[in-house]
Amino acid sequence: MRTLKLYLHSMGMLLRAHTQYRASFALQTLAQLVMEGGEMMAVLLVVNRFERLGHWSGGNLLFFFGVMSLTFYLTEFLGRGVTGAFPSMVRSGQLDTLLVRPRGLMTQVLCAEIDPRRIGCLAVGLTALILGSRASGIRWTLPKALALLEAVGLGTLLTLGLFLIECVLCVYTVRSIEMVNALTYGGRSACQYPVDIYPRPLRILFTAVAPYALVLHVPAAWILDKPLWNWPAWTAFVTPLAGPLVFLVMRGAFGVAMRHYRSTGS
Amino acid sequence: MRAYAAAFSMRLKMELQYRAAALGGILCQIFFGLVLIALYRALYASRPQTLPIGSVVTYVWINQAFFRMLLSWDTDLLDKLRTGAIAYDLCRPVSLYGYYYARIAAMKLVGSLLRAVPMLLFAILLPEGWRVGPPVSAGALAAAFAGLGLGLACVTAMECVTMGITMRTIDHRGVMALLNLLMVTFSGNLLPLTLFPDSWQRVITLLPYAQLLDAPIRLYTGERPLSAAPGILGLQALWTLALAALGLWIWRHNLRRITIQGG
Repeated sequence: MRTLKLYLHSMGMLLRAHTQYRASFALQTLAQLVMEGGEMMAVLLVVNRFERLGHWSGGNLLFFFGVMSLTFYLTEFLGRGVTGAFPSMVRSGQLDTLLVRPRGLMTQVLCAEIDPRRIGCLAVGLTALILGSRASGIRWTLPKALALLEAVGLGTLLTLGLFLIECVLCVYTVRSIEMVNALTYGGRSACQYPVDIYPRPLRILFTAVAPYALVLHVPAAWILDKPLWNWPAWTAFVTPLAGPLVFLVMRGAFGVAMRHYRSTGS
Repeated sequence: MRAYAAAFSMRLKMELQYRAAALGGILCQIFFGLVLIALYRALYASRPQTLPIGSVVTYVWINQAFFRMLLSWDTDLLDKLRTGAIAYDLCRPVSLYGYYYARIAAMKLVGSLLRAVPMLLFAILLPEGWRVGPPVSAGALAAAFAGLGLGLACVTAMECVTMGITMRTIDHRGVMALLNLLMVTFSGNLLPLTLFPDSWQRVITLLPYAQLLDAPIRLYTGERPLSAAPGILGLQALWTLALAALGLWIWRHNLRRITIQGG
């Protein structure tokens, strides 16, 4: 409970810090909105030319895009310490100052940075979600709303877990490894679209290794009344648990890695 | 002229030092290319188009391979502007614009070739339907190479215009993000321009962004016939000259009222 209070306190502090330069902040938020808007436009242009993708309609595709966009940018907003700041903390030796404080390292890393400019991206994601839901004619019920919340919430844990891979490697190599982007940013671009359209190796990758299919697509497809792989309804609530699973595994790996941490400083 | 050639080859050698860093980038870029092609193949499977899928696949590979030509900037210059170290460059007995044009061109050339050659070699070895297709004719290949060269000249001139604009503001991130969006959208990186609505294509192929990679790719795949090559290359040259003139004008104007940062 005290950890949570600490996190919320840091968040408020960082939020105030970020909004000190108002014009710059507004411009950068706008820039984020424009950039994610471009991604959404690409989906709309694809829908304009191809109309559908397998048995998914244009509205369905927009819905999938919205779910992914919300999940990914919520992680980048709240978990910027892990998704962005950590490698530079290792390089600059700033991490050492966290190690001497009487709080968990993960808490402190998460408290160290947020990126409120991402509300620009979140606005686009939410718009896509609403437009996609309308176009697909989803009739919202309480279970469906809960499934969506669960998917997005646990999806942020999955994304955090995938970014933790980069952090773990970074402890050993100091330099950040570009290859991991294939799972994080690559996962985001690939899984904007439902996973069943991809060939087998990619399906396996995004189901078993970076399980966006289990965490986001299974519930989203169920909400659209087009269950993925015809799985029964209860799976929509169970498979997203793969998200926290990946997070916990990577959290453990991070603990092991930190035992081998050697500071870069002199 | 020799001074600019020296600046060019100096930067060329410096960029060649980072070969290991390029490897990680290549693998990542190949992965993105494969995902995009898988997506377009799935789209084509549900609704075939008049434009053959092979042409889209080739488009994606070439665009991904030369990604670094579109999106890479001279971070040294940005730092120099912020810290005021640009004052040293002002002392050099060469045109500042010419000096940086040569540097940026070298950076983009090596940055993209270092990645494009291994990526395209990999993409040739892929199975049918996934691999980069051969050029329609030897003439088309030659025209595409000429177009790629002009595309490099054009993107460098464009970069200099962008730099000229950012020189005026200390915090350039907002403007840069907007210009980057225009770049990824209208250069065909986000979605091949050949898949944009047909009515849009008539306009966007005339924009400077389409002159960078889209024009040479269309010559390579035979999307535009060889007889159209002089017109295409002419348009590329025209945009290059126009952007270079604009960049030169902005840089001159900036230099007249430059304020050096720092003490």
